[in-house]
Amino acid sequence: MKETLEKIREAAESALKAAADESEIENLRVKYLGKKGELTAVLKQMGSLSPEERPVMGQLVNEAKQKLETLIAEKKTDLKAKATEIKLKSETIDITMPAKEVKCGGLHPLNHVVNDMIDIFQSMGFDVVDGPEVETDHYNFECLNVPADHPARDMQDTFYLAENLLLRTQTSAAQIRTMENRKPPIRVICPGRVYRADEVDATHSPVFHQLEGLVVDKGITMCDLKGVLEQFAHEIYGSDTKVRFRPSFFPFTEPSVEVDVSCSECGGKGCRVCKGAGWIEILGAGMVHPNVLRSCGIDPEEYSGFAFGIGIDRITTTRYKISDIRLLFENDKRFLEQF
Amino acid sequence: MKISLNHLRNYVDINVSPEELCDRMVMAGFEVEDIEKQGENIKNVVAARILKITPHENSDHLQICQMDVGAGEPVQIVTGAQNIHEGDYVPAALDDSYLPNGAHIVAGKLRGVESNGMLCSGGELCLTEADYEGAEVNGILILKGEPKPGTDMREVLGLNDYIIDFKITANRPDCNCFLGVAKEISVVLGTKFTAPKPEYKTVGGNISDYIYIEVRNFDLCPRYIGRVVKNLRIKESPDWIKKAITAAGMRPINNIVDITNFVMLETGQPMHAFNYNDIRGHQIIVRNAENGESITTIDGTEHNLNSDMLVIADGEQPSCLAGIMGGKESEIESDTTDLFLESAKFRRDNIRHTGRTLGIRTEASGRYERGVDIMNVEYASERALQLIYELDAGDIIDGAIDLNNGLPEERVINVTTDKIMSLIGVDVPDEKIISILNSLGLPTVANGKELTVRVPSIRDDIEDRADLAEEVMRIYGYDHIVGKPMRGEVVRGKKLPERIKTDKIKDFLISAGAREIATYSFISSSALDTLLLDEKDERRNQIKIINPLGDEYSTMRTQLTTSMLTVLATNINRKITNARFFEASKRFVPKSLPITEQPEELPTLSIGIYGKDEDFFTLKGIIEGVMKLCGAHTQYERSAEPYLHPGRQALVKANNTPAAVFGEVHPTVSAAYGIDCRVYVAEIKLDVLLNINKRKTLYKPLPKFPAVERDFAMLCDADLPVGALEKAITKGAGRLLERIELFDVYSGSQIPEGKKSVAYSVWLRSADSTLTDKEIETVSASIISNLEKTGAELRK
Repeated sequence: MKETLEKIREAAESALKAAADESEIENLRVKYLGKKGELTAVLKQMGSLSPEERPVMGQLVNEAKQKLETLIAEKKTDLKAKATEIKLKSETIDITMPAKEVKCGGLHPLNHVVNDMIDIFQSMGFDVVDGPEVETDHYNFECLNVPADHPARDMQDTFYLAENLLLRTQTSAAQIRTMENRKPPIRVICPGRVYRADEVDATHSPVFHQLEGLVVDKGITMCDLKGVLEQFAHEIYGSDTKVRFRPSFFPFTEPSVEVDVSCSECGGKGCRVCKGAGWIEILGAGMVHPNVLRSCGIDPEEYSGFAFGIGIDRITTTRYKISDIRLLFENDKRFLEQF
Repeated sequence: MKISLNHLRNYVDINVSPEELCDRMVMAGFEVEDIEKQGENIKNVVAARILKITPHENSDHLQICQMDVGAGEPVQIVTGAQNIHEGDYVPAALDDSYLPNGAHIVAGKLRGVESNGMLCSGGELCLTEADYEGAEVNGILILKGEPKPGTDMREVLGLNDYIIDFKITANRPDCNCFLGVAKEISVVLGTKFTAPKPEYKTVGGNISDYIYIEVRNFDLCPRYIGRVVKNLRIKESPDWIKKAITAAGMRPINNIVDITNFVMLETGQPMHAFNYNDIRGHQIIVRNAENGESITTIDGTEHNLNSDMLVIADGEQPSCLAGIMGGKESEIESDTTDLFLESAKFRRDNIRHTGRTLGIRTEASGRYERGVDIMNVEYASERALQLIYELDAGDIIDGAIDLNNGLPEERVINVTTDKIMSLIGVDVPDEKIISILNSLGLPTVANGKELTVRVPSIRDDIEDRADLAEEVMRIYGYDHIVGKPMRGEVVRGKKLPERIKTDKIKDFLISAGAREIATYSFISSSALDTLLLDEKDERRNQIKIINPLGDEYSTMRTQLTTSMLTVLATNINRKITNARFFEASKRFVPKSLPITEQPEELPTLSIGIYGKDEDFFTLKGIIEGVMKLCGAHTQYERSAEPYLHPGRQALVKANNTPAAVFGEVHPTVSAAYGIDCRVYVAEIKLDVLLNINKRKTLYKPLPKFPAVERDFAMLCDADLPVGALEKAITKGAGRLLERIELFDVYSGSQIPEGKKSVAYSVWLRSADSTLTDKEIETVSASIISNLEKTGAELRK
């Protein structure tokens, strides 16, 4: 009987090993472990054994049964794994096929720059304000210390809408409105659209964009101005950028300066981008003219302030190395998609 | 202002290189627009002597010259010129030389004969008679003297000068002249400055016997000085004057005209020379023109004058447009014998105004517009007479007529050094401040920290301590300013709510695949015609720019759609197959026309889409997203915009206020833009959307009980909007309604003519229990009865 058991076991194991799919395994299970299976049959013969042999034989049969069950389970897992493997292999795809695009648009490059600038100044405590684009002569010129027929009006060719109304030539007009509506300390920026009667070419546009900054408080000096502009330049152009003040003239600031930054392309050595100068002019600034403070009801003996005006279009074209400003207003999708 | 560096050396010691001078002037506030080294484009051109001339065998005009170019061996050069002789000294461009026009001369053969360069004319070296006598004759330039063969021609011609073009800012009219710039250089370099001291002799007489002068408007002419010079000896000016005025961009004419121009360039004070004998009645009347008067100026143009314009009249009529241009009649000519010389100050706004009105701008008027110094009027007059005397150009009559309404006192600013520097934040030693102010011609005396600064009239620009701070710092050096970080309370700047909301809308549009565009705020005056807008449409109330760059940019837009259509057309014409664009900008709505006050600037959003996957409903989806983002409750109604497809457009109401119009663009309009496919545009009033107060977001518990889905299929009139069916379902389902979805609309076979089949899925759910069959039956019945009220008939 023991031999019979042994033979059944060997036969079952080798049959299992050869089994190729689940149904075959199931057949084997029935053949050996089923109600009419061979092992079950052996178990049924137990009655003919002596009481001493019975427990020994019973244990052997049970062991064989368990072993077979384990083998079947293992074989099943094995086969499943193989099947999965085959399936996965058959599902291999060409990963270089094009992606299913998630269509996402984007901001205009000018507004990428504006938003970056707003972030920088906002973190320095500047509020962001707006002003009208159609301005009165009073706000665009008179209050900014440029009376009628002043030669400084030649600096900016102005579009007029009526005798007294014009398209603002600078965001500086917003300075005045801010100072009239707020008490110092004042810390604001005003990004926006400005207009000058410049014929359109690669570097001129009658519509362009500025960001005006204004700080008024007690004890404000040019060192504060330089500190703010250095912070700005470091964030826009990199932390090793140097800032240089050059004396200049704007009617609404005194002293007035042109502000240059060291050329980020050559680090100040001189290259094509900076035309050999090592410096790039990025903005005009200065201490708010006492007449301007006075015209807004702020006592220049008590308060001082600084103002600056940054050309957004210029920063945009230098940042992205855009050679022709007209591209900004042409709106070719292939251009816009690059930002 | 272009200045010859050699000429500047007459007034100031310049002990640095031209390049360093420019760098230092830039840092003192004088931008250098250009620095031109004379002759820098001439390379390898030398003085040469003609040893021998032989005719060319194959040409009747070419000649073969053996030249001594200082190289030992003679060099053979072929020339076509006929004005040369053996023994002449001429300029020779050798093999591998460059001429000012960029020409590169190399050795070659001329009709088979070797030629190792070229003999040059004055013109080929860019010379004029002012530079070198004989430079403009036809033929080779014959050099004077016997320059050593081989000497660089730049040396022979004395081309060692630099012409520096300084940009003078509007606040420094005093530097629009040689003396002003020289003075600044002396301060910057710390070297000596010398202005000429006018001295001359008169031939006696008394000016009052020659001329009567009257100023009738001292407001427009605060000072007028007249002098008379007899027996003019008109001839060419000496080289040094010709060079100085040529460098500044003016043309030499004759000694008298050149002196007036030179003095203007030197002192900044314009002068005017009248032919004394053409002044009728020998009377000079400075007065406003009379309406209807006219004058022909020296350029030959006749101008009609009005009473705002100041003229210098003689006894009968205007003889000169004050400060702008002289009259043709009293012009100095080569045979003029007697001179009346004017030096005056005119009010700058009046000159500017007259110049604008008549469309004339001259060297003189430019200076008057920027302002001349009333005290300098006399110096300039004296200086001109000195030059007339020194150049022996005429006999000066004794006496000057100097009319003015009182000369200004020197202004005094009392200020402390601390006050001056408080704007800068840099410690500059008091002595330094004082010495800088003194060197700039602002005599300053100190009493401890108290300064008394005297400001001469020439520095009109200096009003108070801010100006003094600038003067000190631009000389002391702005690089002494050390940046300080922002101080004060730690705050983060705030944005306006409108900006925050607009940014959110933009973010949404970007996530919907749209690209932001930027277009001009002004459009063509005829742009609205392309939209086929009715004559009475209120969008036609547009503001016109008085001085536009052209009609294309002449009108402030009251809508953004025309700009969007232009952009769509650009992209379509460039074969870009699909796009989604948006622009958030302003529309300019006048309160009245013509405008007398600022218009309303209303924020507006424009969207434009096209491509094979786009239609009315993709645009509707985008708009719905925007509306939802703004918390708007929306309704759609048919609209009647002439520029949109009559059957494919809608008005969107946000909380019952019209907020947007969108739809497919009318084919006629598309065609006008050169668009040959279907495009869809929306114009959204952001002003309406930004004013909607969005409800605060509060959490709602997730459903605990299952939803039930029921489908309703019905037949209805083909032209019944499904919106009506949706409304009926919503009403019928009441508070149990969770969601409605339209899943089929069909008409065609098996559907009666004039009808359509519509099918909806409706989800019902209760928040507090599982719906019973009975409840569902009741709701379904209510939905059906509401649907039937619309005329729909449920399909079984």
